[in-house]
Amino acid sequence: MANPNFRERPDRELERLSDEELIEYIVGARDAGRLDACNRAGAILVHGYWDIAVARCRLKVPPADAEDVAGQAVVSAITTFAFAGGSIGEFRGWLHTIVDRRIADYHRARERKSPPEALPETGGDEDAVWGVEPWEEGEAGAIDVQSVVDQAFAELSETHQRVVELYGFEDLSAVDAAAQIPDMTEANVHQIYTRFRARLRELLAEAGEGDTPP
Amino acid sequence: MTDVDSLLSEFIERQRSGGDADPTELVERVEGMDRRELEELIDAYLRRAPRREFDAAAYRESGAPQVVDALSRSLTGSAGLWPALLPRLRERARLRRAELVERLARALGAADRRAKVEAYYHKMEQGLLPADGVSDRVLGALGEIVGASAETLRRAGAAIAPPAGAGPAEQAAFARTALPDPAYEGMESPTAPTGPADHPADAWDEVDELFRGGGRR
Repeated sequence: MANPNFRERPDRELERLSDEELIEYIVGARDAGRLDACNRAGAILVHGYWDIAVARCRLKVPPADAEDVAGQAVVSAITTFAFAGGSIGEFRGWLHTIVDRRIADYHRARERKSPPEALPETGGDEDAVWGVEPWEEGEAGAIDVQSVVDQAFAELSETHQRVVELYGFEDLSAVDAAAQIPDMTEANVHQIYTRFRARLRELLAEAGEGDTPP
Repeated sequence: MTDVDSLLSEFIERQRSGGDADPTELVERVEGMDRRELEELIDAYLRRAPRREFDAAAYRESGAPQVVDALSRSLTGSAGLWPALLPRLRERARLRRAELVERLARALGAADRRAKVEAYYHKMEQGLLPADGVSDRVLGALGEIVGASAETLRRAGAAIAPPAGAGPAEQAAFARTALPDPAYEGMESPTAPTGPADHPADAWDEVDELFRGGGRR
């Protein structure tokens, strides 16, 4: 039965909704049988992350397959998030977790020398199939590989993390980054970020990364 | 400023301005450890990047409309996550759709009715075939081919309820929004029987029964 309480919103209003509110709206529109509204909200959400997901995939899979992998990840992330009804947390983090898993699936598939049915000892690769989404009871044991950046970042204090966020990833100048954190100086920002980058290179070396010939 | 720093800044600037956000050209400008470091930093930046504002022209020119189409089929179709899952499983098994259909038809003992199996499988990938009508035998055979269990496929098909309020007209409107697959243009999909007069004895056969007759056969 159609949901009589669903209220269609104009696009300019949809664009101001958070990711989680947009997904709630998409589900509401679907339940109300308002497929046009469902698609409009879906377009805003998908467009918002499309280039980001594709760029991440281009870093890890061949260019010809990057959009396919990204597309599967985006659809899977939104549908599973919608199905879980908000129990997953923040959508953006969830999307990137699913992108990571689809990239891993992609490489696992290519590592196989024969089709999956020829691996009787595994009974196929169900984790790769279903992506071991944590909302699925009994499949909560998925271990996501932590990136070396996340690892180096996690070793920092909260204040130093903020420095790295502002100076490294928001691309603020050291002066502007320092201005946003109490008792922080421009010199300190440089020092903290330089140490972070040194640690990052250390972790990459430990992982045997970066050994590709010049 | 190192090469890595300046290239990261260049990428961030491009991505924020809505320009070409393909990082590959930038990472190829450095080698070895610098390249890996730059890749990791760009990836970390992208993970933190906020949702891009909607731009209708950029949206139309991107691959996003196809994704919205698949999303719609998953959310509003009657086959749960199949539109997202089945193409992925097929790709993972490195099978073209024609090859998969060939094997599926053989496994179902319907090699002589390959076209009908193909039309049904196409509908499964499109999310246009109600999952609860597809038999365990089909899911078992399909699962064998793509490396998944019938139970996994059943679960994926049932994961999302069909739109409660969508009537036939809305479903038809939805179906029209699906991107046509050139490979299937002009192909007639099997239709469900609506009454004995519409369906001579040879129209509804075992293949229809397998794909539309119900789940536990």
